[in-house]
Amino acid sequence: MASTACFMIVSKNDIPIYEAEVGSVPKKEDAAHQHQFILHAALDIVQDMAWTTSAMFLKAIDRFNDLVVSVYVTAGHILSFVLTNLLVYMFVSINNCEEIKQWLDVLGTLL
Amino acid sequence: MADPANTKLGRMLLDEITPVVMVLRTPLVEESCRKNGLSLIEMLAPFSNFNNIDVPVRTASDQPYRLRKFRLRLFYGSEVRQPNIEAAKERLKQVITFSGDKDISELCSDPPDIESLIATSKQELVPSWFQNFNKELIDVVAFSEHEAFDHPVACLVAVSSKDKDPIDKFVDLFNTNQLPPLLNDGAMDPKILKYFLLVHDNQDGMLEKASGILTEMRSTFGANDCRLLCINTSADGTEEHQGTLWASYKNSISNNKQYGCFLNADDIEELRSTMHDFSSKHIIPHMELKIRVLNQQISATRRGFRNQIRNLWWRKGKDDAPENANGPMYTFSSIESQIRVLGDYAFMLRDYELALSNYRLISTDYKLDKAWKHYAGVQEMMGLTYFMLDQSRKDAEYCMENAFTTYLKMGPSGGRNATRCGIWWAEMLKARDEFKDAAGVYFRISGEEPLHSAVMLEQASYCFLLSTPTMLRKYGFHLVLSGDLYRKCDQTKHAIRTYRGALSVFKGTTWSRIRDHVHFHIGRWYASLGMFDEAIKHVLEVLACGHQTKATQELFLRDFFQIIQETGKTYEVLRLQLPVINFPLIKVVFEDHRTYASTAAASVRESLWQSLEEDMIPSLSVMKTNWLESQQKVLPKKYKESNVCVAGEAIKVEISFRNPLQIPISISNVSLICKHSAEFDETESDANGFSIDHQNDKELRAVSNSGEFSLDTSLFTLSEIDISMRGGETILVQLTVTPKIEGSLKVVGVRWKLSGSVVGICNFNSDIIRKKVTKRKKKPKQPVKDNLQFLVIKSLPRLEGVVDNFPKTVYAGDLRRLTLELRNPSKISVKNLKMKISHPRYLIIADQEVMNSEFPTCLRKQESSSESCTQVDAARAASSLFVFPETTAISSETPLKWPLWFRAAAAGSISLYITVYYEMEDESSVITYRTLRMHYNLEVLPSLEVSFQTSPCSSKLQEFLVRMDVINRTSSETFQIHQLSCVGDQWELVLLQPMESVSSLKLLMAGQALSCFFKLKNRRTRQSTEENTFLATSGRADVKLVDGDSTGLYDTYISPFILFHHHERVHQEKQEQGHGGTVDFILISESRSGSDAGVASKSPIWWLIDGPRSVRHDFSAAFCEINLSMTVYNSSEDVVSVRVLTLDYTPAINSATSAASGSGNEVGWHDISHVSEIKVTSDVTGVRAGKAPPSTDSVSPFIWSGTSSTRLNLEPLSSAQVPLQICVFSPGTFDLSNYILYWNLVSSGGHDADGPKVSSGTCQGHSYHIAVLQKE
Repeated sequence: MASTACFMIVSKNDIPIYEAEVGSVPKKEDAAHQHQFILHAALDIVQDMAWTTSAMFLKAIDRFNDLVVSVYVTAGHILSFVLTNLLVYMFVSINNCEEIKQWLDVLGTLL
Repeated sequence: MADPANTKLGRMLLDEITPVVMVLRTPLVEESCRKNGLSLIEMLAPFSNFNNIDVPVRTASDQPYRLRKFRLRLFYGSEVRQPNIEAAKERLKQVITFSGDKDISELCSDPPDIESLIATSKQELVPSWFQNFNKELIDVVAFSEHEAFDHPVACLVAVSSKDKDPIDKFVDLFNTNQLPPLLNDGAMDPKILKYFLLVHDNQDGMLEKASGILTEMRSTFGANDCRLLCINTSADGTEEHQGTLWASYKNSISNNKQYGCFLNADDIEELRSTMHDFSSKHIIPHMELKIRVLNQQISATRRGFRNQIRNLWWRKGKDDAPENANGPMYTFSSIESQIRVLGDYAFMLRDYELALSNYRLISTDYKLDKAWKHYAGVQEMMGLTYFMLDQSRKDAEYCMENAFTTYLKMGPSGGRNATRCGIWWAEMLKARDEFKDAAGVYFRISGEEPLHSAVMLEQASYCFLLSTPTMLRKYGFHLVLSGDLYRKCDQTKHAIRTYRGALSVFKGTTWSRIRDHVHFHIGRWYASLGMFDEAIKHVLEVLACGHQTKATQELFLRDFFQIIQETGKTYEVLRLQLPVINFPLIKVVFEDHRTYASTAAASVRESLWQSLEEDMIPSLSVMKTNWLESQQKVLPKKYKESNVCVAGEAIKVEISFRNPLQIPISISNVSLICKHSAEFDETESDANGFSIDHQNDKELRAVSNSGEFSLDTSLFTLSEIDISMRGGETILVQLTVTPKIEGSLKVVGVRWKLSGSVVGICNFNSDIIRKKVTKRKKKPKQPVKDNLQFLVIKSLPRLEGVVDNFPKTVYAGDLRRLTLELRNPSKISVKNLKMKISHPRYLIIADQEVMNSEFPTCLRKQESSSESCTQVDAARAASSLFVFPETTAISSETPLKWPLWFRAAAAGSISLYITVYYEMEDESSVITYRTLRMHYNLEVLPSLEVSFQTSPCSSKLQEFLVRMDVINRTSSETFQIHQLSCVGDQWELVLLQPMESVSSLKLLMAGQALSCFFKLKNRRTRQSTEENTFLATSGRADVKLVDGDSTGLYDTYISPFILFHHHERVHQEKQEQGHGGTVDFILISESRSGSDAGVASKSPIWWLIDGPRSVRHDFSAAFCEINLSMTVYNSSEDVVSVRVLTLDYTPAINSATSAASGSGNEVGWHDISHVSEIKVTSDVTGVRAGKAPPSTDSVSPFIWSGTSSTRLNLEPLSSAQVPLQICVFSPGTFDLSNYILYWNLVSSGGHDADGPKVSSGTCQGHSYHIAVLQKE
């Protein structure tokens, strides 16, 4: 099962700072803009949620078909997104979620 | 919350879930109705909708209530069946296409601003045709058997009075097997209420006959169920009705025909009363009755505890029954059907409590029976009933969701039902302001059918927009999704509409891929509709997409050109982003009084020129403003800040273009856009610079267009350049404009043609204004250069100057004669020429006589040399400013040639600046003088390195010993030492060695060194230097170092030598001051082109010593060991045995090794062509005199350690390394040349015919200097 993921860091003013397509799926031109659309749309949800929860890691905050958006919100409201393929996400067990969380935790300290 | 009945969903339900009346009629009835342009149903429709029927209703309970609004739905018998899926699809598509065509005009306008979008009310925002579409979509699933509300409640049988045997016709109409399948297959009770209508056309007369038939009918069918309807009373067909009566019921196929033209007021009144009578006296009582009957039955069999238990037990028993796809078939007589009918009738008569209790009852039954379709239908109705009761939102939503998922679970057969359910559900959520959830429902509805999905997604997007807080990004995203689907179904107009909406969200976004996607696609779609202006506007946005992949860039560009091609004209685009212009790099070069010989000269800093021209230009301190101020009466004051240029002389503008793409692009016809006005008092110049941008652009377009006309080419000419740029390349382009007549010229912008089809225009002005704003603080200091406004004055002479054959690279010390050539192309001659050179050490002005004499023989000592020659022109030497003789006025025909002396004084890169000042013969001009600036770069390579060492002679007071060391530092050049002279009359120089030993060394090969010893005698120590001019010069100051007598010595007292000496002294005194009593030597050598032939043929080996050149060591601790390595290379084709032998004594200089080899090769040498001259000042007093050199018989300051002899065999054309080591005992510089290489050929594959080869030899070590210093 091929997985796809898009990682993005977005600044407070919705300006993308960093963007990376990871995963084993061969890169498609089509996917790049689709991922941007999905993540951009997810900002709407994130902006609501960010003020209502104290958690920084918002797992599976939004989804589009089988693509799941997870967000890590830093204190300065710089967002980093992970967009993963849901099927893979579930298949690789909870461990992997922890890994992503840790990864993002590290990222949070870096930013 | 508002009353549920007043919400959109409420109204929809009150319209849709109403009793159905099946209409059966004979063709003659239809014919009579058609006269009015209406069918029977259409004619009756307006009258079957009652807003205030006011009928008392009593259903199951004993409390009557009054029904206000009521509606009947009329259908022909043939229509009471499930609609054809394909036809329905086609109808839906038509609805969409029709609405798409309607608002094409809006597509051209700009997308609305997002703030204003939020501000507009909901009704304006959401397209109105959604409602029609949703209704059509709901109608697709009408008349399904599992729902009773579409089952006809009554049957209206209409027969015309013209029909033969009307009574039989009534019977026939109902008895034919044309009846809908619902009645025939037992899904509903075939015994329904019938109402008999005799339609009489008054135009056919004979009302009496109709009355007769009516009485007959009454006797046959019963008195109450028959009625006579008279229509078409109006004879002339000119009856006017208020237009709204039928308009809303007639399907939108409008024509000009007046509906109901034969119906007069009486007819309409009769229609109304007929329908009122029919519904209030027949349908409603019939339904009431049926509700009561059914309720009684159901109460008896199903209500109560006992019945419930029994039912449960009975259902359980049926579990084993085989299932079919839609669950068990329920006939009209089954208790389940009856409960459902009861529920639906109660719903239609607004008794929602009764309806709900029955739906609940039946719902569990269907679930137990696994009749999913029926179950879902009941759940759906439950949800709606909850909604109408305005109770328990949760239950309502739960029921709707349950119904929706159940329909979906059924697979494709339930899809359309699910759609209807979803629409109702979404409407329900919208009615409760839960737009976000409604959007989710719409998103779920969108299924396989792309067209329907597109509409649903669009509705979802509007829900996001209306939700609080507004979810703009979701709105944009869903619009884009919907647009893609529209496009898939060829609904391009809808696609554009949705994308335009999305654009208002994504405008100016930094999410590059989103922006590119939206702009590119909308652009393409506009193009497919033929709206090229819009298309180009959007595609332009994505052209400079450096972040996309190469393939995408190509795609964008290709489509762009395709669109351009389709427009069939060259397109002009303001601010075309391809290529990008780097604004700060725009540089303007123009010539007022300053003229430049080359572009290199123009790029030199202005301050550098100014300092050079300082004492040349009259009254420089006020110069910059002076020439303008003095002319103030002529020139308007405002032109002080504009630049001055001369007609006929080009203004150069440098613009840097950058290609942001990875693919190459070609640009042609790059040229400036200029505006020329002949008037001096152009008032516009002040105003237009700051006028609003838009106007400027328009103007610019106009100017750029008119630039193509021949009219303007008489005012100025523009240069055109074609360039092609590789991916990511930045190119600096120099464009010129040459004004032809006086006036004022303004450089407005630049235009270019991309790939020969698109014209890009860029306006400089707007950018420069921006720049000015940012630089406001520094404004006074801002150079005039940045201004693009020019004052063109009439043409002036402009000198062109060039130094002929100026060398690019020379060896240090190279002395050459160069020629400066000045031309004046114009008719007016110039005068008062002056010239100044920045580096007199390198370049000085010669006397004009030198032009005619031969070089270098003119420098040789002549027997008849006069005294005057030896004089140093102190004034000339001191000042670097050269004034040409008064007579030199250059006119157009004869160029002025003037000789220059050039000498490469020191190694390194050097920039020489020459400026020539001249005045106009014509005094009337604004500019009275000009300067010509020339600039040359050259590189000086090191050649001979000369060092002198003087030490006082031990025997005589006035004599000194001079040791001269010369090393050839070049890589290939060979020099011949010609002569050493000392400057000044008080010195006498004598060679210590015999002439022969030196002259045998006359050729200094590359890398070779030479030492000579001289005796220097001071002849006049007591006399002051002023007197020395009176001394007779004698040849003893010069020592000739070359044998042969054909050529004499060079005279170092004449112009180039003496001048260069002067400048050198000036230069060196600057560097090291405070040493008096010096003697200057001039060494003259001649250069020969290198020849190393002969050496290679004799020795097959080459070697090189590798190691440090300088070492720091603390000698107080221990001696110093230095490791070196020698690389030996065998260049022969035989194996060579090499023995390296290190010696601890200095071998006798065997200079014959290389010099002798050269003797046979003289034929190939060139003529003596250059003279090099080196001179180094050294101290007479001899700093090193105090230090006694170590005596030669003491121990050498270093010894070779390690192996003193190494032997190795070298394969042909191979190399080997030999490690070497030395021990050093004291600091100093050592020459490690005291080693010898012996070589002999070990084997050779047979001797050649051309004689025996040399098979062995000895090579003296190369000199390798190493400096060892005491560590501090």
